[in-house]
Amino acid sequence: MSKTMSKSHNVSEAESCIHGAANRSSRRSERRRADVEDPFGRALEYFSQVKAGTPVKGNDALENNLVLVERVALGRGLPPGAVATLLDFALSLRLGSSVCSRVLKFLIPASAVPQDSVVRGVSWFCMGKMPVSAQILFLRWILTMFDLIDSKDQLRSIYGFIFSFVTDEVLSPYVCHLLYLLTTKEHVQPFRVRKLLEVQAKMGRQPPLTQLLALYKVLCPEMIAISMPSKTRGGFKNHNLPWKTALAAVLKKNKTAEAPSPPLSLDIKEKASTRKRKLHHLEVPQLSCGPEIESSRGKAVHLQQLRSFAQLLQNLDNIELPAQMGSLLSSSLALHYLDCVHDESALLRLNFWLGSVLHEEFLFCSRDGNPENSTEPSQFLDICLSLPQECFSSSEFFLFKFLAMWDGSLHQPQILSLLSDIPPLPVSRMKMFLFEPLQQLYFTSSVFFKCGVIECLRSMLWKWLTWHFVQTSHKELDVSLSSSRTMNLHMSEFLELVTELVQYVGRLASAGLQLENYHILLHHQTLNFYELVCDVYLKFNLPLFLLPPSGVIFPSLLATDPVTVDRLGYVIFRYRQNLMSAKEHKQQKKEPSFHISRDVFREFNLLMVAVVSCLWISKDCQVDVGTDVHKALVPLRTMLSYCKNYNLIHHPAFLNYAIEFHQKCWPEQTNVDLSSIQGKKYWYWYLEFLFSQGFDGLKDFIQNNMDHQSTPVGGH
Amino acid sequence: MMEGRSAMESPVTRLPTRRRTKSYGRSCFEASSRFAYTSGQLTILRIPTTREAPRARNIAERVDPEQVTLLIKNEWKLSYVTPLYRFRHTHLKKYSKHLSAFIAAEKQQGTAVEVGLETGYRVTFSTVLGIAETDEDAETVFIQIQSKPMFAATGDALKVVWSGWLTCVNGSPEYLHSLLPDFVSLPLFCSSGPENITVVVKSWFEKMFDCRFGSLGLDSTSLQWLCALWTGCHPDNNIRYLRLLWTLPTQPPLDVSYTVNPQDAWELWNSVRQEDSVDGTVGIDEVKHFMAGLESHFFRHFKIYLSSGTLRKVSTALGSAQQDGKVKILCSDYLATVLTLLTECAILKMPI
Repeated sequence: MSKTMSKSHNVSEAESCIHGAANRSSRRSERRRADVEDPFGRALEYFSQVKAGTPVKGNDALENNLVLVERVALGRGLPPGAVATLLDFALSLRLGSSVCSRVLKFLIPASAVPQDSVVRGVSWFCMGKMPVSAQILFLRWILTMFDLIDSKDQLRSIYGFIFSFVTDEVLSPYVCHLLYLLTTKEHVQPFRVRKLLEVQAKMGRQPPLTQLLALYKVLCPEMIAISMPSKTRGGFKNHNLPWKTALAAVLKKNKTAEAPSPPLSLDIKEKASTRKRKLHHLEVPQLSCGPEIESSRGKAVHLQQLRSFAQLLQNLDNIELPAQMGSLLSSSLALHYLDCVHDESALLRLNFWLGSVLHEEFLFCSRDGNPENSTEPSQFLDICLSLPQECFSSSEFFLFKFLAMWDGSLHQPQILSLLSDIPPLPVSRMKMFLFEPLQQLYFTSSVFFKCGVIECLRSMLWKWLTWHFVQTSHKELDVSLSSSRTMNLHMSEFLELVTELVQYVGRLASAGLQLENYHILLHHQTLNFYELVCDVYLKFNLPLFLLPPSGVIFPSLLATDPVTVDRLGYVIFRYRQNLMSAKEHKQQKKEPSFHISRDVFREFNLLMVAVVSCLWISKDCQVDVGTDVHKALVPLRTMLSYCKNYNLIHHPAFLNYAIEFHQKCWPEQTNVDLSSIQGKKYWYWYLEFLFSQGFDGLKDFIQNNMDHQSTPVGGH
Repeated sequence: MMEGRSAMESPVTRLPTRRRTKSYGRSCFEASSRFAYTSGQLTILRIPTTREAPRARNIAERVDPEQVTLLIKNEWKLSYVTPLYRFRHTHLKKYSKHLSAFIAAEKQQGTAVEVGLETGYRVTFSTVLGIAETDEDAETVFIQIQSKPMFAATGDALKVVWSGWLTCVNGSPEYLHSLLPDFVSLPLFCSSGPENITVVVKSWFEKMFDCRFGSLGLDSTSLQWLCALWTGCHPDNNIRYLRLLWTLPTQPPLDVSYTVNPQDAWELWNSVRQEDSVDGTVGIDEVKHFMAGLESHFFRHFKIYLSSGTLRKVSTALGSAQQDGKVKILCSDYLATVLTLLTECAILKMPI
């Protein structure tokens, strides 16, 4: 051991000499330039040149320089060069240990601490001349400034020297802390493990030593076993007391100049729950290295060693995955990393872990009648939702099983969002595992659940469409990516699935609207869904035109709130835009594969006639509402015979506006005769008035469908 | 015979079983279509409706008899395990050292223990060759933990405090094929010993091989299967008694213990065996008929519908099994039959 130590010492000494020499020469030239009138520069020069044995007492020059430098240090911090000079001056003990500790106490760096100065400091430290108090102060200074040291590779290479102080009873806690910060996998060697265990046997369980051992165990579980009692998670004390406030002030002052690199979210989150759960299904394991070294490719880097995002990028190719993939859930960055590596077995491990947690917690585990606090399970589901890998097959299987026994209220928001992550599957499967159980829940639950289901299906459709769009438009660009995530659904199957989903939602919505007495929230959720469906061609390049069923259109058309009618107008307007552009496309390209059924146009025209005749013409609308109007909608049909009362003036949703408009036009008239608005001039003014109220959907609909010259028939 | 009719009379509580079928069967999922990731090929896996009839086999020809006695001596608590990542049958010695250090470290919380040193526990991993039935089955691994008594003299023998084993017998080949080569599937874990050691061993496995454990109960269908299979062995190997334990949902719950004369049970079994059934297989219909026969007989005497309760325990001289997953195998001749059934239950519990 001593051999290796002395060898590494020589190397590092030599290196630091070279660095030091280079630094010194550059410093000298700088100094010469600044020498003209710079008291701070002269003070530094004094400290670098002062001879050992110079008297301290009554030395005015020393005192003045110390005061000067202290003022600068506490004011704006010391530049790296000054830190190096002063550290060297203090630790060399040229003017005794009291000066040394005085200097150390105000040694506040402005930005960074040069590494070689710290290495030199350690070599002074190793000479054994320093009194213990100064040694402790120096170690505490390093621990406080550790994050400011510009790089740590040389410090790591003199790990053995620092390690040798671990047997010193007084220094041991600080040394353990420093080692904890420096240790990498290569440092964990059997002889060191044995040494630490000896120290443990001699001094008992000291928290810093235990922490260091625990780190050794994390890095090399095949050498050492330790289990941390859950109570003593305290870790290390802060040693930054003498410098805390001054350092914080200096760093705050200098912060504006350069922004610090963003913190890395790899740290394991502290366990928030102190309550003892009887079951431990939901515990996310700790990040630790795999027990096998056989596969390590030379310089494998463990996720826990990474401190910054830059480091992650540098080591992207040789990062070693942890022993338990479940531990990745504690860090979103690690999950993104997993996304880039395409490691099949890693994913399968995570898949198994996740699936088993979900199954044990929600399916197999009997609650035995005691209503468990449900925050933890729902937190876990939130984690599942935040995974960048949208849907693990295990969570999909879990959902299919869970739906069969779900009451529709337990963790409703999370479960519905998880459902919306389900990928496209063949229609028969989708029907059996999703549509049927969901339908049962839908019809037996409250209106708010119904809204949730529609929203969930909307977001599911949106994800499928986005996925499809990306797949088709980037086929040539990103073959590797798509090949690993291929969804083996043919285009025709995909179209069939989307059609089935839209029709399914159509059935749910029309029946649900009736059941819930045309609840306004459900109306909006439904129209929200159709706002996605109507734009499928233009936005997602999918030649699919699926109109809402009459059970959705007519209740929306005759709704009592104007926003619903307005949204319906927008939906119909978008359908028209999509159909028009599809028609144009067909005429231009003459592609045989591109086929739109005649029925679509026929159906859409019927829909247009119905809506226009209702809102605009207000003739007796002998609209053929088609045979698809369900028998339950017969009252609607009779209602339609009173259609003249549903033009934009008499429509219950707009009556309010009509009256307001009337009052503005004829303020003196006391009896309101709305039919007077039907005059040509007033009619357009009225429309303008409506548009100014923010009914943009209606505006789009009317301006694109109406001949502006035509007036409502049946006017004056 | 009478059985058919009385089975129709008695209200058969099929709901729980049906739910199981629906929730754990994954006949219908395939991994071929995945949004994000296709990892692990899932293939068709169905709850079997027929099984091979048990045949008495002298297992001592294939397996070391000493090891067999280890397996049939205890009552085992069953668990299922997800596939073990990078488990090697060649590294058992290393695992022994590691687990014993791990147990020692768990015992003295906060004190580190060097791997490979003598601790108070001695762990032995061993392979039980010959239990596996097919080439796909991984070899069974047996773990024994011995401990020095607290105030033992130096010469005292170590005492066995815990034992357990991981096995896979006739595991569904589709499932085993679908796993990646890095994984070893030993889905059935049996343990016997203090619960705290079981917890430590499980947590060690979870840390080492990135797997997960879950308790494995036996649903009434599985218990009925065992009941019929064991009864079928009677001509070759006297079962001496067939004892069934039901719990009926009354207030307070009523436990019914039902012991059947082995000869009667066998005759009933023989009568429900379908003539046209292929030789050497048993169908689920036969098992259901057999159970219905037993239940209707009970109804005739006590006017109690056993089918409204849950079957909790089945025991014969060949072995016993309980609903909460405790199994005892008393006769080694039918080891393969029982383990096949248990392996299947374990695989059905897998999350994917």
